[in-house]
Amino acid sequence: MPMKRKIDWAIYAAFVVLVMLLPLVMDAFWLNRVAKYLVYGMLGVAVALSWGYAGILNLGQGLFFGAGAYMLAMSLKLASTTSLQQGSDKPVPDFMLWNAEPGAPTELCCINKASFLWLPFQSQWFGVAMGLILPVLLATILGTIVFRKRISGVFVSIITLALVLLVRLVVIDSQPVTNGFNGLTDLGWFNVAGLEFDPYIVPTYYLVAVSLSLVLVGTRLLIDTRSGLILQAVRDDQNRARYLGFDVPAYQTFFFAVSAAIAGFAGMLYVIVSEFASPTFMDLTFSITMVVWAAVGGRASILGACIGAILINTISATVSETEGFAEAWKAIIGLIFVLVVLYLPRGLAGLAHDFIDRLLARKPTASPQALPVSETSSQLAE
Amino acid sequence: MAQSALTIDGLSVDFEGFKAVNGVTMTVDDGELRVLLGANGAGKTTLMDLISGKTKSTDGRVYLHDTDITNWEEHKIARAGIGRKFQIPSVFKELTVRRNLEVASCKKPGVFANLRFGFGTDAERNVDEVLELIGLTEEQDRIAAYLSHGQTQWLELGLLITQNPKIILLDEPTAGMTQAETHKTSEIVNNLKGRHTIIVVEHDMAFVREIAERITVLHLGQVLAEGNVEQIENNPKVREAYLGSKGIS
Amino acid sequence: MLEVLFIGLSLGSILLLVALGLAITYGAMGVINMAHGEMVMVGAYVTVLSGIWLGTNIFVAIPLAFIVTALLGLLIERVVVRRLYGRLLDTLLATWGIAILIQQAVRLEFGLSFLGIHLQGLGPGLQNVAVPPFLQGTFSILGADINRYRTFIILVTAILALVTWFIIYRTSMGTQVRAIIRNPRMAAACGIDVTRINALTFAFGSGLAGVAGVMMSGFKTVFPDMGTSMVVDGFLVVVMGGVGSLLGSVLSAGILGEINGLVAAATNDILARAVVFGVVIAIIVLKPKGLFALKGR
Repeated sequence: MPMKRKIDWAIYAAFVVLVMLLPLVMDAFWLNRVAKYLVYGMLGVAVALSWGYAGILNLGQGLFFGAGAYMLAMSLKLASTTSLQQGSDKPVPDFMLWNAEPGAPTELCCINKASFLWLPFQSQWFGVAMGLILPVLLATILGTIVFRKRISGVFVSIITLALVLLVRLVVIDSQPVTNGFNGLTDLGWFNVAGLEFDPYIVPTYYLVAVSLSLVLVGTRLLIDTRSGLILQAVRDDQNRARYLGFDVPAYQTFFFAVSAAIAGFAGMLYVIVSEFASPTFMDLTFSITMVVWAAVGGRASILGACIGAILINTISATVSETEGFAEAWKAIIGLIFVLVVLYLPRGLAGLAHDFIDRLLARKPTASPQALPVSETSSQLAE
Repeated sequence: MAQSALTIDGLSVDFEGFKAVNGVTMTVDDGELRVLLGANGAGKTTLMDLISGKTKSTDGRVYLHDTDITNWEEHKIARAGIGRKFQIPSVFKELTVRRNLEVASCKKPGVFANLRFGFGTDAERNVDEVLELIGLTEEQDRIAAYLSHGQTQWLELGLLITQNPKIILLDEPTAGMTQAETHKTSEIVNNLKGRHTIIVVEHDMAFVREIAERITVLHLGQVLAEGNVEQIENNPKVREAYLGSKGIS
Repeated sequence: MLEVLFIGLSLGSILLLVALGLAITYGAMGVINMAHGEMVMVGAYVTVLSGIWLGTNIFVAIPLAFIVTALLGLLIERVVVRRLYGRLLDTLLATWGIAILIQQAVRLEFGLSFLGIHLQGLGPGLQNVAVPPFLQGTFSILGADINRYRTFIILVTAILALVTWFIIYRTSMGTQVRAIIRNPRMAAACGIDVTRINALTFAFGSGLAGVAGVMMSGFKTVFPDMGTSMVVDGFLVVVMGGVGSLLGSVLSAGILGEINGLVAAATNDILARAVVFGVVIAIIVLKPKGLFALKGR
């Protein structure tokens, strides 16, 4: 076991080093792209934590990603120099000006009924704080209600799915404050003590790369704690854990909230590297796509899910360069996904683990490829 | 006379008119091993559900020593000192045997209290002892899903022993076991005698004879008789109600 | 007011149209078929293609679409779903992959577009279907203008629901299906050919989706992605109604349709859908087994 553990950490270290060295070989354009994929990798971590370790298949992870993205985007929108009231110290988002009723005061407090909500976002750090607080708050409220009521399996998935679609519609409908379908575009740069994070410079890449590395290692350490172990016990058998005296809903809610915080963090980073926030973050397709990444990489492996996300997106980007092949690639993704669910339920990480086991090959401990897939819906039958 | 560990006073539950447990009163002494006997539908498992909080009673009280634990939440009852083994063995399937026991060795219920690494040398030593006791030392790094049925049952017993509750409720611990496995189970249970108060639901009379001190017979949700093995086997009321319908093999 | 209620009824019937097939595959077989929306889409394309290549109208398309999608469903069951019984969430994921495959197949004209061959009616573009004249326009009852085509949808939905009810509750095959819903292993032990019945049930559910697609094509634009949002709505209806309860699905479709119609009349379509989602979430939280769940099990 200790040997396997060492190898495990060595792989983490290798991954981090690789990510850190990329700027040596890549131009600014590709670095910006890869930064986006690293953000997707972070989403993979969030999915693996809640799905693989907590047994909660969240089909609405986009809600937390979107919440984080919008919170920071609001601040960055107010920091934009090109699209606001030029020469004024009282910035107002351009779309509010365009849609303002004739004669409305052109101030953030009162240009429309709800615009005052934007006021605190004049501070960038308020946006950053809210980008974490809002997802955590939403997840805690949702988790407390759902898990205290012992709702589990597919019902949690459906609730999260319906919720993300609901919020998406509300965001679209609240045109005066959110710019509806169009989302928030033309944002300013994230700014730390004078350093402006232009998405196409190396420091921005490092902001993302370091963030991802910290999240990876932090999450990995978190599941190595006693709580992380108890969480896996809860995943395997809620009742057994309950009768051993553990406060089951507290564990589920806590890790659900951590997963939400990671997704929210990813949302903020995404806004920094791609300079927009849009209701498409809360599309059904995006939330399920994240699950696809995690499944291909390995739902029960933090790093596996992360690499799965990065790998699929990098290949997509490379392949899509070829004219006309983008659509065919989508079909291939569909096919890969079916095959992974059927034949490789533990994903690429599962393959890697088996490979390492074989290398270590003390004795072939009970053919690991037959490990039953965590079936979170088994409670259905009760 | 020892102090009573568990006192049940007029406990009843009403499932839409059907009283599965109807006014059961019994006292289990500290360190005692009590067997619950009864035909199918006599209310044995329901009684365990009521004690452990799975089912909420509609009348009567349950005391653990002097604490009234009636209708508490399951995990609070567990923390108060009542451990339970289920009829269908339930362990943490995707964790190794050792990891299973380490989970049970965490003494604090909350998520924040457990945000720390390692389990401490005392806990690890205790886990080693339990592994020895349930005979799974060799299997400690195996994933629990690959254990045989008997081994799974022992692992669940191991979880309870590690949890170290004052009272252990065992619901048919030998169900589906071979004779040899049953015998080993009785050894484990006998080993726990004195250290824990144990209540066992069991059908297998061979097993009951190996472990039992006192027996309570339930019939149609009520206590029919109480006594040692000999008294129960010769009790005419029991013979009529229980042997008549099913027979003690 | 009558018009608003009618629109609600019409929305409800559209929901039910999609949900009916899901109620069967999910309720009876424990399969979350995310490709169900794509079955609807395929049904709609059958209408488009039969109109272009055969010159036939929507009535001919109904049996045609049923057959095509039922066969497609049979294929999916044989190749993928069959291996995943008992792994509910995995069926969701695998069928999501299938959904993408079907969408791309239509968009890429089964790969022919790479060879430069173009089939009229397929491809990534939008398609429209002409409805026979007597189903166009409105008629008037008690002073309310009632849309003919919407009335037609309500009628067809009612007929399909009745046919489904009849098959499930009044035929021996339906009895076998219900036995499988209650306890698949016991059903198998009683001599029911679970594999065969499952395959037929899945095909039937898919066929219903195909017919739904024909009906949709009459008033919605047809395009490869059209099924994605439908499948979600369908699931919400089934879960809210109670898994395994046909009547539950019918009633919850009606309730959600009316809520959608009323809120839309008072505010707008977007908020109306948001309210529908909110209602469904509230009901699942309060009654996870749905409004009309089967007792037992």
